Amino acid sequence: MHTQDLPQLASVEEIEAGFEAHGYICSRKIATAVFLAFQLRKPVLVEGPPGVGKTELAKTTATLLDVPLIRLQCYEGLDEAKALYEWKYGKQLLYTQVLKEKLGDLLQGAKGLAESVERLHQFGDIFYSEEFLEPRPLLKAMQQDKGAILLIDEVDKSDYEFESLLLEILSDYQISIPEIGTVKARTSPMVFLTSNNTRDISDALKRRCLHLYIPFPTVELEERIICSRVPDINEQLRHQLVEFVHSLRQLDLKKAPAISETIDWARSLLLLHADQLDEQLVSDTLNVLLKFEDDIEATGPELRSLLHPPGN
Amino acid sequence: MQSNLLNFIQVLRSNDVRISPAETLDAVDVAATLGYADRSLLRDGLAMTLAKTPEEEVIFLECFQRFFHQGLANFASGEVPADDAQAQADADETAAGDDQPGGASEEQLPSPLESAAADNPQLQALLESTLMQNLLRNDRNQLTLAMNRAGERVGLQQIQMFTQKGQYTRKILDELGEAHIRNAVIELERADSPALVSLQRYRDILREQVRDYVEREYLLQAKGKTRQFMDDVLSTTRLNNIEHMYLHKVQELIRKMARKLASRHSRKRRQLKRGQLDMGKTIRKGIPNEGVMFNTYWRRTRKEKPQILAVCDVSGSVAAYAKFLLLFLYSLQDVLPKVRSFAFSSHLGEVSDYFQQHPVEKAIELVNWKYGGATDYGSSLLDFARLALDDINSNTTVIILGDARNNNGDPRMDIMQSIYQRSRQVIWLNPESRRAWGTGDSEMLRYQSACHFSAECNNLKQLERIIDQLLKSTR
Repeated sequence: MHTQDLPQLASVEEIEAGFEAHGYICSRKIATAVFLAFQLRKPVLVEGPPGVGKTELAKTTATLLDVPLIRLQCYEGLDEAKALYEWKYGKQLLYTQVLKEKLGDLLQGAKGLAESVERLHQFGDIFYSEEFLEPRPLLKAMQQDKGAILLIDEVDKSDYEFESLLLEILSDYQISIPEIGTVKARTSPMVFLTSNNTRDISDALKRRCLHLYIPFPTVELEERIICSRVPDINEQLRHQLVEFVHSLRQLDLKKAPAISETIDWARSLLLLHADQLDEQLVSDTLNVLLKFEDDIEATGPELRSLLHPPGN
Repeated sequence: MQSNLLNFIQVLRSNDVRISPAETLDAVDVAATLGYADRSLLRDGLAMTLAKTPEEEVIFLECFQRFFHQGLANFASGEVPADDAQAQADADETAAGDDQPGGASEEQLPSPLESAAADNPQLQALLESTLMQNLLRNDRNQLTLAMNRAGERVGLQQIQMFTQKGQYTRKILDELGEAHIRNAVIELERADSPALVSLQRYRDILREQVRDYVEREYLLQAKGKTRQFMDDVLSTTRLNNIEHMYLHKVQELIRKMARKLASRHSRKRRQLKRGQLDMGKTIRKGIPNEGVMFNTYWRRTRKEKPQILAVCDVSGSVAAYAKFLLLFLYSLQDVLPKVRSFAFSSHLGEVSDYFQQHPVEKAIELVNWKYGGATDYGSSLLDFARLALDDINSNTTVIILGDARNNNGDPRMDIMQSIYQRSRQVIWLNPESRRAWGTGDSEMLRYQSACHFSAECNNLKQLERIIDQLLKSTR
């Protein structure tokens, strides 16, 4: 991807516009991160509360550049056999069984044990060659000719050991396979790592990445996002609902509503043919925004004051 | 500009943002890619490479603001009275201006100075010096530049303590050539010249500017350093000498150390446990045998199981140390989830619950209140054996903190021996210096024979080192 110039990523403004065309409204900071990631060939570690569009960022970049998105979802116990590569044991086994007969032909005319072994050696480690390699997401991303977007999702869910595994890939875009050697990326992929901050990421990993923190958006930005995602909603309702979500975020909630929830809510309101927020409507649809019963209960009595802030 | 960037990184470092050389290189790359024209773009870009957590980003933004915004305070306002004086002077002494060498700036000179300079070659020379010219013309850029240079020459970046501010201000003034103005002022004073007032004003403006500049640099460079210095001092002071007012700082420090240790050691330890069959490995290992799987291979599951028993003497002489040790151990919850603590002086009891139920300060108070008194190692060890000896196995580390001063009672070496034999390791931390071990009623030398490791431990640095070692060995 870095060998050719990509007009989509030529400048920060270009990226902002490109993202917007694909329905991803981003702050300048995000566009700067993507720009730098491309220019400096560095992975981006995206942090932020759930639902602010971390994963979406990678997806949109993939659409924008028209390259495949390769996704690796992290979880506890994820190991190299599932992230990097695995040998196709079944195939290896099958081939050894099938080829057993061929051995006789091969060794025909060989004198003595030494010569037979010599002959066998000529074939090298055929059973440990690329044909028997099952690429997993990380290796697959290295093998793309046109480059790829590699999304390593929720890296904080994986174990510490797994992080070390990533280091070689992230700094040099290569993977060492003991039986074969080093596999270098044909075109270095653009890497996004996301983290929900459930634990601290190791310094070594952080050091290799650009660090992008996506907070909840400003009112203005969120309105633009809703406008782009739910274009049919009328302006007044849009403004009202974004304001409401913002005031909800000020409350002490177990899980504050994120952008994805705002979008869902806007869609639900549209389905209900609402053109204005009222108490009844909000309390009926609050479960779209808030995902915990405790939160819904805690918000209930506050609804009136949230909908009609004393200032207005 | 690059050296400016490096200075900025230095500032960040002194404000507790850890930045490695590799990150510095990245920052230079970023600055080169983005250019210096758009400040907010540069700020966002640098933030991404240099600040690695939201907290660091806050510090970063603050520093960025302070560092790249250091324009001089406009001192034109200070000249308003000068303008008045000038207008007045202009009225009666327009002719005097003709003597002066021409030039736009000179024409604006307050006349008393000019006229005084006319018959005083020394003052004339002074007025023509760059410094004075900058002041007269209110050229803030030039003045800032001159101050920056002077600051570099006198090593202002090494400023560490607020007490040095005056000293550095003086040095920079000297570098700038303030002495000439000072001398001229004295001279004018002696001559009772009308030019005295305006020269004095320029001198004061200069002094104020330099003072502000030093203040700003101090805030940038040294605020962090002073804190580091404080931390260094606190971590090497004997724990029982630390003033009460610094206790909360020490606790903070301990938490910081604990976090550091925790992140260094929180890697999980392997423990062989039969879990799922590892099909891949079994088949692979079977390939040499024509696919016949002679051996089965099982996945290992990782499980953490460190067990630490901390036994602390809480009698008067050692209480301060015990407090810190316990604080340390409980701050390490992430790495050492299973710490049981016991406190004793005349008798011993388990105090783990206090630490789980109360905040640390309260818990320590409670422990002291309940178990304080005269030390009796013999009966305390007996209590310990009754409570916990059965739980000690080859995975257990026993840490004993105490001065081993037994008031000449029975040391009960037999119990110590059995603890020693059952446990993985016994660590004895003694706040007394090694030389004092074994003197008077100290049983340390005898107890030492039943310890895997014994050490003197009376400040945070030592404590940190020992716990670091402990974590390594429990892995």
